[in-house]
Amino acid sequence: MKARYLPTTVAAFALTTWATGASAAGKWDGADDLPTNPLACGAGEAAAPAAAKPYDGGRPTNPPNKAGKEITLVDVPKLIGIGYFNATTKGMQDAAKELGDVKVTTDGPTEAKIDEQIKFIDNYITRGVDGVLFAANDPVAIAPVLKKALSKGIHIVGYDANSTPDAREWFVNQAEFNGIGKAMMDSMAKEIGEDGAFGIVTSTFTTPNQARWIAEMQAYTEKCHPKMKWLETVEAQEDNNLSFNQATTLINKYGDKLKGLFGMTSVATPASAEAVTKAGLCGKVAVVGLATPNAMKPYLKTDCVKSVVLWNPIDLGYAAVYVMRATVDGKLKPGSTSVEAGKLGKLNVVNGSEILLGPPFIYTKENIDKFNF
Amino acid sequence: MSATAFAGAASARTGGLRRFASQEALLAVAVISLAVVVGAINPRFLAYRNVADILLGNAYIAIAAIGMSMVIISGNIDISVGSLIGVLATISGSLAVAGAPTFVSWLVPLILGVAVMAAQGAVVAYLRIPSIVVTLGMLSILKGGLISVTGGRWITDLPQSFHLADLNVVGLPMPVVIMVLATALAAIWMRYSPRGRATYATGGNAEAARLCGVDPQRTVVMVFAIHGLFAGIATLVYATQLRVIQSNTPAGLELTVITASVVGGVSILGGVGTVVGSTLAAILIAEITSALVFINVSPYWTDALRGGLILATVIADILRRQRRAAREWKK
Amino acid sequence: MSVAAEISARKAPWWLKRHETLLAIILVLALIGLGAFNERFLTPDNLLNQGRLMTEIGLISLPMTFVIITGGIDLSVGAIVGLCAIMLGYSWKNFGFPLPLAIVFSLFVGALAGFVNGLVITRVKVPPLIMTIATLALYRGLAEGVSQAHSVRGYPEWFYFLGQGSILGVPTQLLILIVLMVVSGVVLDRTTFGRTLYAIGANETAARFSALNVDRAKLIIYTLSGLASGLAAFVLVSRVTTTRMDMGLGYELDVIAAVVLGGASIFGGSGTIWGTAIGLAMIQLLKNGLALTGVKGDATIVVIGAALILSVLVASSLQRRRD
Repeated sequence: MKARYLPTTVAAFALTTWATGASAAGKWDGADDLPTNPLACGAGEAAAPAAAKPYDGGRPTNPPNKAGKEITLVDVPKLIGIGYFNATTKGMQDAAKELGDVKVTTDGPTEAKIDEQIKFIDNYITRGVDGVLFAANDPVAIAPVLKKALSKGIHIVGYDANSTPDAREWFVNQAEFNGIGKAMMDSMAKEIGEDGAFGIVTSTFTTPNQARWIAEMQAYTEKCHPKMKWLETVEAQEDNNLSFNQATTLINKYGDKLKGLFGMTSVATPASAEAVTKAGLCGKVAVVGLATPNAMKPYLKTDCVKSVVLWNPIDLGYAAVYVMRATVDGKLKPGSTSVEAGKLGKLNVVNGSEILLGPPFIYTKENIDKFNF
Repeated sequence: MSATAFAGAASARTGGLRRFASQEALLAVAVISLAVVVGAINPRFLAYRNVADILLGNAYIAIAAIGMSMVIISGNIDISVGSLIGVLATISGSLAVAGAPTFVSWLVPLILGVAVMAAQGAVVAYLRIPSIVVTLGMLSILKGGLISVTGGRWITDLPQSFHLADLNVVGLPMPVVIMVLATALAAIWMRYSPRGRATYATGGNAEAARLCGVDPQRTVVMVFAIHGLFAGIATLVYATQLRVIQSNTPAGLELTVITASVVGGVSILGGVGTVVGSTLAAILIAEITSALVFINVSPYWTDALRGGLILATVIADILRRQRRAAREWKK
Repeated sequence: MSVAAEISARKAPWWLKRHETLLAIILVLALIGLGAFNERFLTPDNLLNQGRLMTEIGLISLPMTFVIITGGIDLSVGAIVGLCAIMLGYSWKNFGFPLPLAIVFSLFVGALAGFVNGLVITRVKVPPLIMTIATLALYRGLAEGVSQAHSVRGYPEWFYFLGQGSILGVPTQLLILIVLMVVSGVVLDRTTFGRTLYAIGANETAARFSALNVDRAKLIIYTLSGLASGLAAFVLVSRVTTTRMDMGLGYELDVIAAVVLGGASIFGGSGTIWGTAIGLAMIQLLKNGLALTGVKGDATIVVIGAALILSVLVASSLQRRRD
């Protein structure tokens, strides 16, 4: 009866993994081994201006000249059916309406899976469009299909989540990773003090944007808030109830020690706020995070949450369409230093081939009612 | 073949009492010993607040697993339950926001749950399409349909009266009360009512059940309808717990629910298992998830450990059953 | 009942009774219909490209057909894809294996993962659904634990030939899929091993009494299932140029959909590789054709779900009428 030993084996295996696992926690590096680049401490947005980099994006092969003519675009976000990408879609439609000569459809997978996303883009290449807007589920995995599109003369502009630079022409960057890291940590430090301890609820450790933000937050904490204590980071997918459960677990585990919770997604932040509310710890445990305004209104109103960090995703989608139009028209080309983006005015080119939307926006009780998404 | 069916049906009534009891006992022992071990490492784990939170946050899984267990016992499976809960939650929340009376927004998901599941059961029973095909198809239809209709718009500004899960009954939180009541009622019904026993018979061997005067087709439709009712109840707990309803289908919920059922000792071959086991299993899985955070397991390894522990429980349960069977054989 | 149907189908002279034939007709009709809407659909380029995109699911669906014929199921395949992808990338980048060895190693890990499933299923008699639902969590967790959620990138150019290259204009991986499909089809149709699988699915006890080595056959098919998932991981990593621990997430349902659409009964005893091939092509081309016709992703899922139920319904009710 060999099988009798199986449970023992499994238990031994479990203990081993626990032992190895416990020692492996520590440094967050964004899951991609890229260096972190924390901004300067304290107020003052401007870090040392990065040395102007030459254009490093890709170029479509012999695109048809559609300058000034009507163009058809497709937008393939990470996934459809979540508040955040609904907002970017709305921005795109706004821009299309304003411009009048742009048609844009949003279509994509219902779960944030890279191989599904690739199939969507592939289908649209076959179907024939003038341009593709995308938010990548994986920067490298999406590259081959984008390069295929470029080789067929299709213009490519990314937003929200980048690909490798040579697989697209431009990337509309909502906020630099280190900017988010700084805004999040400074907000938290302001609320819980320089020696407070905090936990983090994120989606998964492989989600590119979230992983980078956490890495930048850690680098910035070491540099500017060295006494703050980083307790634990937990995964909760993009799932409301799971996020709530995980946040609750952190609250119960650390008790009085826990002074703050970060929500790294627009799902985790309201769920963390709810967990704090349910535990009756409003005012004792601060919640800071990335979120969309509507879901956060109740918590801001009850003062359970003081500040929510986010760019305006409507503006992000809006800018992406303007950037695409300018690219097709030849107004935005390698070497350009800025681009006109309708009501947003002039946006700057950074890092070779990225267009920066601006510093992240901080919603508070006072201004949140102005937003509805 | 028919002998097993009779044995299955009979054991549900009398002879199996001890067997079932100890099957649940194993899970209960697992739940308690895990609590003791983790509590020794970190006493906060056993604080009332944490125990209550574990139950509160996962009651909807346990409730959905009750119906799932019945479906599996009847020899079928349902993969669409996660999507259905997502759809019902959205409908319920939309009604509440639109100003419908609270009892309407609570009642509608129950009715729709029964209707959708009974329809699936009818296709399975009368058109003879395997349940995995029907429910796999329904999963796609519900999931795609929900996003097509809502665009994934979140439901916010829910009225306070809508939040059923916030209520307390004699000091106990509503989701826990519902979970316990639902489990108890379902267990009694499965064990003592003729229709409950018909479920075991159908799952054990539909042909033999038919010869004994059970209508297996009607039984399957009934079981699916009851499963729909429990999915509706699970929806109420799930949707009313938080201030926001996501309007999407909770990813992988169907697998979580099925896992709870099978870890609870429900045989996928049909005819064997209890709903008390599935509720205990749902609690155990939730407990493991929480415990792994409490004992400082590296977050990268939590999923592997949870998988390993689930596997260990399942294997232990099956070995125990085999050893008992061998012993009884010797007698 | 399914056994009776299978036997009568085999005795019946009329080809139309076969589930596969009916499905093939439905498929052709759907293709013509969609092709009429969009001239970019029925082009060699598009069809070959679709073949490339469906290869991973296709590879796994072959042993899954075997498994389902025996009345079993393997839900852990998607997780094995993730584990093998990670093993490939990690053994190469972090353990310093040469890339060819890393590929072999990851295939070995896939086969081992499948072997463990098979071993516990046959020795401890854990029902396949329960075993593989548990290893689904375990293998995916191992992938996350080993990789610490890191991706592996930067493979050499030759590595991409399998996933992105072509031989005589046909995607490399599609050729492999076709070869393996023919081999599996022949094995299932013409060998004792294939007959054994049907016998197990029809009546396992009877198969044991007929002195068939049931456990060995089961062990082999679950190992093959793991191996095919490993191969799918290799193809996938090569196609998308990167390794992630969440690769293959949800593949199990796509694979099972293709197999059951192809006429394999989930209760065991019936099913063919040809049916699976048609089911696979049907789902992929329906998705693609609808997308090209302008149907959005969410609506496409609805159509696929309805098509799955309806085509099995139509095929089985026609079959019953003929019987």
